Amino acid sequence: MKIEWTKTPVGRRKFLKGATALGAAAALPMGLGSRAMAADGGTLRVRSYGDLQSIDPAFSKGVIDEEIHASIYNKLIQYKPGREWDWQMDAAAMIEQGDETHIKFALRDDIGFTNGFGAMTAEDVKFSFERIVAEETESPNKPDMGPLSHVEVTGEREGTIVLKEPFAPLWSIALPYITGNIVSKKAWEAAGGKATTDPVAESGPYLRDSWLPKEKTVLKRNPDWKGEAPAWDTIEILPIDDENTAEIAFEAGELDFTRVSLGSVQRYRDGVPNSGTLLEYPSLYYTWLGMNLDHPKLQNKKLRQAIQHAIDVPSVLEAAYFGAVQPSTGIIAPGLAGNRAQSLVPPQADFAKAAELLAESGETNVTLKLDTLNKTTFTTAAQVIQATLAQIGIAVEVNVLESGAFWASADNEDLQLVLNRYSMTPDPYYATSWFTTEQVGHWNWEQFSNEEFDKIHAEAAQLTDQAKRDQMYQRAQDLMEESGAYRFLTHEATPVVHSAHVVPALRPDGLALLRYFGKA
Amino acid sequence: MLLYAIRRFGLALLILIVAVTVMFLMIRAVPGDPVQIMLGPRATPELQARLTAELALDQPIWKQLVIFYGNLLQGDLGIDVFSGRSVTEIVFQQLPHTLWLILGSIIWSATLGIGLGAYAAAHPNTLIDRVTAAISVSFVAAPAFVVALLSLLIFAVHLQWFPAIGAGEGFWGRLNHLVLPAFAIGLSWVGYIARLVRASMLEVMGESHIRTARAFGIRERRVVLVYALRIAILPVVTVIGVGMGFLLSSAVFAEIVFARPGLGKLVIDSITTRNYPIVMGSVLISTGLFVVSTALADLINAWLDPRARTAN
Repeated sequence: MKIEWTKTPVGRRKFLKGATALGAAAALPMGLGSRAMAADGGTLRVRSYGDLQSIDPAFSKGVIDEEIHASIYNKLIQYKPGREWDWQMDAAAMIEQGDETHIKFALRDDIGFTNGFGAMTAEDVKFSFERIVAEETESPNKPDMGPLSHVEVTGEREGTIVLKEPFAPLWSIALPYITGNIVSKKAWEAAGGKATTDPVAESGPYLRDSWLPKEKTVLKRNPDWKGEAPAWDTIEILPIDDENTAEIAFEAGELDFTRVSLGSVQRYRDGVPNSGTLLEYPSLYYTWLGMNLDHPKLQNKKLRQAIQHAIDVPSVLEAAYFGAVQPSTGIIAPGLAGNRAQSLVPPQADFAKAAELLAESGETNVTLKLDTLNKTTFTTAAQVIQATLAQIGIAVEVNVLESGAFWASADNEDLQLVLNRYSMTPDPYYATSWFTTEQVGHWNWEQFSNEEFDKIHAEAAQLTDQAKRDQMYQRAQDLMEESGAYRFLTHEATPVVHSAHVVPALRPDGLALLRYFGKA
Repeated sequence: MLLYAIRRFGLALLILIVAVTVMFLMIRAVPGDPVQIMLGPRATPELQARLTAELALDQPIWKQLVIFYGNLLQGDLGIDVFSGRSVTEIVFQQLPHTLWLILGSIIWSATLGIGLGAYAAAHPNTLIDRVTAAISVSFVAAPAFVVALLSLLIFAVHLQWFPAIGAGEGFWGRLNHLVLPAFAIGLSWVGYIARLVRASMLEVMGESHIRTARAFGIRERRVVLVYALRIAILPVVTVIGVGMGFLLSSAVFAEIVFARPGLGKLVIDSITTRNYPIVMGSVLISTGLFVVSTALADLINAWLDPRARTAN
């Protein structure tokens, strides 16, 4: 079957109909009639915390771009909405792991690209995946593809993904996330191999209709989409970086879906305006207090352990996160292999033990500098830590830094204590990757270097036995904690609100999968 | 007048060069590797090195400055590292939103402020004058961000008269979306302009040409509006020119609170991400706006009052 894929032109009649409606709307009195209400006429309005940066999956900057990419492109598999991490078929009609390094797939025969670039073939899959790992592409997302060697094309719509070595995150990161998006080889080559912010060819249930920088991205239903029909005619994605503004917009009825601040959770628990609903999800962020093992002031392990035991995590979370989050046990979030049931050091402070450890360390008149981002949550947390450490006689000076300066901390030789937060994708491999010896001087600011940890990081990524991986990653976090360089705080949370008209489709960490959003 | 205009714009150009140079040096003095921030944690060292060379960040500061001005003379503000789009295109896409916001604020605050001030001056030491004074002082004292949030909660959430976020589409849509942010950043100017006009009017009303006009039996309304107000609003023109800088800075938070696109928000985002080309492009345009508006205010003053041409 040969399908001609073209963009449906807007006919004169359709144009006039739209123009008439627009004219009628414009004639209404100002302040009353021209107000765009959310969920009107098949339009879903959602908030994103930032604006589109790139339409090219190879240069996607993360969640913000991916929300759009996941709607306008297809992947072999997609994340499944729900509370448990899982995937479902998308462009793949069949996908199976042949052996540890070979994954066979067959594409559906009803997916095509816009702008006359034809049906999706295995060549497109090969092109999309291989360009991510190609040196000349210089894709910052290359690590997500792990040890991809190449894609063998065995038929028009059949192929095999070949890995250099086993790679468990293929199923949790590489295929269902950023690097899994399949683009049109012909379209990309016609565009000279590059696309900045305008798509050269799309294939998803939605097409990008327009983009007004810093204002909104508009997605429209793809008229040629042969899969399950998307629920909305139009999706408007509004970049709003301030959560309070987003909440006001939601309460004014101008947004259907938004993440809300942790400070507002209690208020929304008591009732969401406009018959809306609050949903609380865990998050994949992990926040911790790190100690620079190379700093002369922190060479003493007993001192570091005293600090671990003197920090009262519940107090920090109550003050900084309004009690809306749970203490974490490490860097791997609940629901993922490697999440520990409990940490070695309990979340509650033990001042007696801390004082005892400090005495054993022989350190006196300890004064330390704690670096933190200039965000209220972190400065509050830093102040609570400062107060609790003062109880065992450790003086802490809080050093608040603007984001650019903070993220350059790898170059700060005087870094002592640091209140830090990283994010991760739904595979433990991603979290441990920043704490290897290789990352010392880059993102491993604690200068933590442990052979066993490095070995676990390298080996666990190659295992398909999830129970074994679970044990290994738990051990990796034990090693981190035993070093005395870490006091794990929280994975934070993702509270979201949605209007009554919407059935949201969310990942287990509360992030939106827009293509699956439904109508109530 | 022509010689004055040339002198005034020459000075404006000099101010612009100094301001942009200072900003250029300041942004580079801030700690943090811009390339690392731009590319994120997983960029290869090769890619970082290539971008460093591309942005000339491996060159001495003086050389970077020469390159920047060299490109500027050719009308090239550079390329945005993130999106690969031209900085000129990005900046000029955001500029109209900020200009409309500022213009909207000036129009409504000047109209109301001049009206209130003139009315109060025409009825000095009456209850109306005192009420006007109280209102003016209250407006001046009201922090713009508080006004913004309160107006959002009252007019957008509770009454639902105006939209809360965005810039709208089409003429009426854009106008509708402009009401609350323009109200928020213009409110304190109402009080300020009203006080200024009142003081200026009272001074003018005591002058001999006003007495003469009254002696000729010209109606009081005409004396106030034509003879007195025309001279009394001269300081307002200057204040509005200088106030462009203040309004530009107010626009930043208005753009954040009302989730509007605009130059202010663009600058903030770019500084945070160390997006040097965008920072410099935005600063150049916004500083240019400020310098040109103050120069224009001086020229209008000089045109209305020839004494101003020789005062400097």
